Amino acid sequence: MTFVLPIGPQHPALKEPEFFRFEVKGEEIVDVDIHLGYAHRGIEEALSRRNYKHNIYLSERICGICNVVHTTTYCQAVEQLAGVEPPERAKYIRAIIMELERIHSHLLWLGIAAFQIGFNTLFMLAWRDREYVMDLREMISGSRVHSATNTIGGVRRDVKTEHVPTILRGLEKLERSTKYYINLFGSDRTILARCTNLGVLSKKDAIKFCAVGPLARASDVKTDIRADDPYGAYDALSFNVVIEREGDVLAKGMVRLREILESIRIVRQALKEMPGGPIRTRVGLQMPPNETVERTEAPRGELLYYIRSNGTDTPERVRVRTPTYGNFASMKSMFVGGTVAEIPIVMWGIDPCFGCNDRVTLVDSRTGKTRIVSFDELRRRRK
Amino acid sequence: MMEVVDFVINSLVFPGLLFVSLVGLLYVGIDRKVTGHMQHRIGPPIWQEYLDMGKLLSKEDITPSAAQSFVFNIVPLVSLGAIVAVMLFLPVTSAQPALISVADLIVIIYLLNIPAICVMLGGYSSGSPFGASGAGRYVVQLLSYEFVFILAIIAVVARVGSLSLGTVVVYQAQQGWLVLDWRLLPAAIAALIAAQGKLLRVPFDIPEAESEIVHGALTEYSGPKLAIWRLAYDIETIVVAGLLVALFFGGPTTYVIGGTQIPGVVDFLIKTLAIVLLTTTLRNIMARLRIDQALKFYWSFAALLAIISLVLVLAVP
Amino acid sequence: MPRILPQVLKNVLRKPVTVKYPYVRVEPPEGYRGRPVIDKEKCIRCWLCIRACPDRAISVSKETKKPSIWLGRCTFCGECAEVCPTRAIAMTKEFELATYDIQQAKSE
Repeated sequence: MTFVLPIGPQHPALKEPEFFRFEVKGEEIVDVDIHLGYAHRGIEEALSRRNYKHNIYLSERICGICNVVHTTTYCQAVEQLAGVEPPERAKYIRAIIMELERIHSHLLWLGIAAFQIGFNTLFMLAWRDREYVMDLREMISGSRVHSATNTIGGVRRDVKTEHVPTILRGLEKLERSTKYYINLFGSDRTILARCTNLGVLSKKDAIKFCAVGPLARASDVKTDIRADDPYGAYDALSFNVVIEREGDVLAKGMVRLREILESIRIVRQALKEMPGGPIRTRVGLQMPPNETVERTEAPRGELLYYIRSNGTDTPERVRVRTPTYGNFASMKSMFVGGTVAEIPIVMWGIDPCFGCNDRVTLVDSRTGKTRIVSFDELRRRRK
Repeated sequence: MMEVVDFVINSLVFPGLLFVSLVGLLYVGIDRKVTGHMQHRIGPPIWQEYLDMGKLLSKEDITPSAAQSFVFNIVPLVSLGAIVAVMLFLPVTSAQPALISVADLIVIIYLLNIPAICVMLGGYSSGSPFGASGAGRYVVQLLSYEFVFILAIIAVVARVGSLSLGTVVVYQAQQGWLVLDWRLLPAAIAALIAAQGKLLRVPFDIPEAESEIVHGALTEYSGPKLAIWRLAYDIETIVVAGLLVALFFGGPTTYVIGGTQIPGVVDFLIKTLAIVLLTTTLRNIMARLRIDQALKFYWSFAALLAIISLVLVLAVP
Repeated sequence: MPRILPQVLKNVLRKPVTVKYPYVRVEPPEGYRGRPVIDKEKCIRCWLCIRACPDRAISVSKETKKPSIWLGRCTFCGECAEVCPTRAIAMTKEFELATYDIQQAKSE
């Protein structure tokens, strides 16, 4: 006998509203159905009603945690449409802020992962150390979360020389604590008991379901847009693509934690090699009719923007494909066969960001009713 | 007549409801404060539990329409009653508990199980999948820790040769604490581990794992009924700690320091606080186990400790 | 033995990292984007800020012909302060903007 265990839309394991319908037999999960759309905000439609400059701040609000990478992707796409290249220094500043964002996102992941497995002390400590990077971001961009630094044709704020020693000091502290967490996460007996061999995504499945970001890298798939298709300053910066082989939650965590160390390296390198010069070029807002696709590596994986312009100062269509959306397909293969106790940590293993994700709506042409399509329904419709 | 008055005072004032709820709430407050400091934050003030209790008691009482309301409403009170009754059998001021029976350890074991069964009934009758899931986990958890707990108690009983808790305390007053007896040290460790599971603390807080099944069996409770549950839980903390103190740590002892006699209740409070702080430390350094891992851990490692102890007690005179 | 134990015991002895916020205040850094304020003397009524504002938070009062920013919509991006030719709009370090009075939620 199976019974249905609803997880969400309101549930302490989820930080955002989303509905997961688990069919469980005792404690074992036999099926999972994902209902998306509880955080649908109509952002894509709104993006095609504002001009290119105003859209920066709207795209920043698609996701709070990865806001810089959203604006960077958007700005890079618009720069491509306009045919301008941002100054070198601006590219480096973008890289610095994006990497600081990656550090903060991954530390946030660690904290919530610890909370999901009931390790509240690690949760509090990880978030304590996350404050260092938040302070750095506040110092550089003027706000803890929404940096509002990117603009079309460069950045709005320079990294001042007097800030560099403070940043380096902060990175020093972060590096020390990250190494401690890597050590702890890989050796604590209770963490190992909760994280190894569960939610395993095999390499075959990761490729089949087109997993992106740390999720794919934990399953031994070497994919990182920063290395595969370098954008901005990443061409000139050297870093390693972190991969793990096992594909379980522990590997997913280890990939993220080791990426923090890589990000710290990138920031240091960027601060050292940053060229002088201007930080922005002026760009007119009238874009010639054209279309463009731009992709970047967000903390959670590949982020893709498609923009079609029509000669005015507002885009005709903006499509955003966020990493979480790409990762939902692989969810079923991670859950089925596991137990109820694994749901939160396995779900958090893909670092879901539902605010990013909810943009699929279906309009019934006969009745004019709008409704949200479930994952299963989409699959059925395709057949 | 005097006996009746005595009984009423014992059960309602000291060491019954009033005393034990004041101390229990304070101890859980201390536990929360120390937890905060261990996590490098300030934590709530130590009287926070009293404020929470007042807040919950003043809130609206809601019974979900899907719940079987009679069972749902009655179990918090039964649970509270059972756990306060245990307090009457514990030696608090001296070796003699407030109520004396021939084999009070057996009564205590039974009474300590009633709150667990009440939680399960509450969960199953609440009509919520989280409640049912939490209750199901509680059943498994009860099966795992109870065996270890009883084995550890049997080891003590075999050593002392009496089922009366008063005799155990008197024996320790003459022979020294049982935890210092090398034959009973494994049993003491096993009992501590079992207590961690009994008090639903990390790594054994599986039945109320907040990130998995909201609040387990108590998900649907709110307002005054939740307050009674919290009170019962907080009292259970001190009762279990007090039982461990009586079994292994010498029970309440009166000391004479500089001519003034310090009553046994002070000793009792200090020792129980130490046990509570030990469980606090344990719960802050570990992640929660899965229910199957907890079951395996109890039936292999913890049960092994208790059995070793029992065998040693029986084999080595 | 659990690895985190030394850290936990050390934390008990150390001063908590928490800042007791309403009593202890941490000054925001230089260049913080807080409440925008408008210096009306400097305003030359070019209305560039209105065009720059991404969420139409700036409006003009009919009587005084001066701009005011409704903080309920403001996203604190600082575009208006950047675009103002006379630097009449400036971002301050003030960030406690919650209020019961809707008139208080305006920057004039």
